[in-house]
Amino acid sequence: MDIRVGGGYSMSNFWFGEGIRKGKKTERFPFAPPEEPPERPSRMEGSGEPYCPTQAIKDGKWDAGRCIFCRFCEPGYTPTGKQDIFKVNRTEPVLKKSFYIYKLDSGACGACNVELETIFDPQYDANRLNIFITNSPRHADAIVVMGVHTDGMKEALKNAYEAMPEPKLIISMGACSISGGIIGESPIGREKYHVEIAGCPPSPYTILEALARARGD
Amino acid sequence: MRYKFGEPSGRYIGHWGKYHVYADSISEIAPDGYNDLPVHKMAPGEFNFQYGPSTGGLMESVGITLTTPGELINSVAVDPSYKARSLKLKGKSIGEALLLVERINGFHAASNSLSFLMAVEDALDLEVTVEVQKARILQLELERIRSNLEVIKRLCEPAGFGVPTNQLGYLREKVSRIISGVAGHRFFFGANAPGCSRVSSSGINEKLSEVGQEFQRLYAGLLESKIFLNRLQNNGVTKDSLLTGPAARASGLRYDSRTVRGELPYMETPFYPVVREEKDCFGRFCVRGEEVLNSIDIIASLGSLKETVRTEIPKGSGEGCARLESPQGDIFYYVQLKNGSIEDLWHVSPGTLNIRAFRESMKGNIFTDFHFNWESFGIWISELGVVIQ
Repeated sequence: MDIRVGGGYSMSNFWFGEGIRKGKKTERFPFAPPEEPPERPSRMEGSGEPYCPTQAIKDGKWDAGRCIFCRFCEPGYTPTGKQDIFKVNRTEPVLKKSFYIYKLDSGACGACNVELETIFDPQYDANRLNIFITNSPRHADAIVVMGVHTDGMKEALKNAYEAMPEPKLIISMGACSISGGIIGESPIGREKYHVEIAGCPPSPYTILEALARARGD
Repeated sequence: MRYKFGEPSGRYIGHWGKYHVYADSISEIAPDGYNDLPVHKMAPGEFNFQYGPSTGGLMESVGITLTTPGELINSVAVDPSYKARSLKLKGKSIGEALLLVERINGFHAASNSLSFLMAVEDALDLEVTVEVQKARILQLELERIRSNLEVIKRLCEPAGFGVPTNQLGYLREKVSRIISGVAGHRFFFGANAPGCSRVSSSGINEKLSEVGQEFQRLYAGLLESKIFLNRLQNNGVTKDSLLTGPAARASGLRYDSRTVRGELPYMETPFYPVVREEKDCFGRFCVRGEEVLNSIDIIASLGSLKETVRTEIPKGSGEGCARLESPQGDIFYYVQLKNGSIEDLWHVSPGTLNIRAFRESMKGNIFTDFHFNWESFGIWISELGVVIQ
């Protein structure tokens, strides 16, 4: 295969030009509706008591934090495309101008890990909302817990939480982390989370809006 | 069953417990030299540097111990067990087991679930239509495009190469949205069942062609960015032949499960194994880059595919296995069914061989080479840290 950029280019000019040529790719979300919301995960609506392997549907109510969007309940329940499947139990408005999150993979399948990174891609650009990733819990305002409880990560989770300065938020991301999903148990228990971001895995739209709302936006 | 238990036959694929899987057989005999990784004895002045399990530079939780006198890395140990999950698969129906198998590695869910389903079909002697087989190729190649874009993006990141990092992230998200449109889920969860595939390819070729054109320009730019290439060339040179996936093909080995007749009809597509001779990070980068473009051509050749739905999952007994080429390399599933329930199940992840190769190739490098080499193998820990019950 012969692939060339073209004669006469200096590479620094090439990359500068590439940055300009593409133009602005960031969507206006969460200040405007999502441009391409996924069908799943999204808010499910329906009726009846279809079989649900994670008991997300009980007594005619749908629990977003338990749902893994396996389609077992369809067509009784159908996805609506609405991305507002998160719950904020506590907000920290002091973090509005600078919100650093530390991600902790307690026992995730990898899908949540990728979706959390995706919010920093050009379509979403979480940095414009003053949301950043930090590599150390000592610099973190919130810990984002992904995956189920595993014995090997229990101590790492405890140490990371204790190393964080106050005020600090505990954010649960994905069905595994919130309720154990289809695989196991929640790493710290659902009642202890300040923010629940539902989905299996949650879509970048849901993650972005939930993080923004955690600061009281 | 396609594979027979007995003497080793064909190239080595990997192992699960006491079983060693070869291209044509399953054996309890390990290949020569497999268990002979030299044990490093600490020399005066050396110390162990613990990296992980939880740290910002790693995508997943994994414990890495580097033995070093200060700069040179003399030995590396990788412990994928920190986030080991127990999956209760035995006794489950095929449909419920599939929900767990999809989540063994969410980022490569299509590879895992399709390999599992093909093993189930082998056990039950189920015929699969050409339409469904093509739909499976579509899923595997979309997954490969996204995975390879992710690896190349992660190679640019430690170089601080902001423009291509962001633009590759942009393309990866475009592919995720294409997958979402094709399968109704961004990671193919719930898109498959025995003998059927709930995917439709309408209108994707135009979108993929745009991705291909944009990627080709970026790839060409990267191939001429000498400062970036310096970080990859002669970094992480593999010396072993026990390799799989892009790592094998970057070392001159024509190992690719897609060349196997009888699994999926790749020979009717423009597929060709991308083989390079460099053996280093650069070779692995080139293999992945060219595979992105080849996968787009493969998908274009599949034509229009419609959703096929079979509601009833057959109940039967038997044992079967299947092997596919995941973006990391060969992935293998063995299942034993009894009256439609899982009696036994195990799988071979390409990560086993890739971690072995990474450890060997890291010796003699320095810490600043670490991330490039680690990312070039595209290892997913979730697939390795699994206990099947």
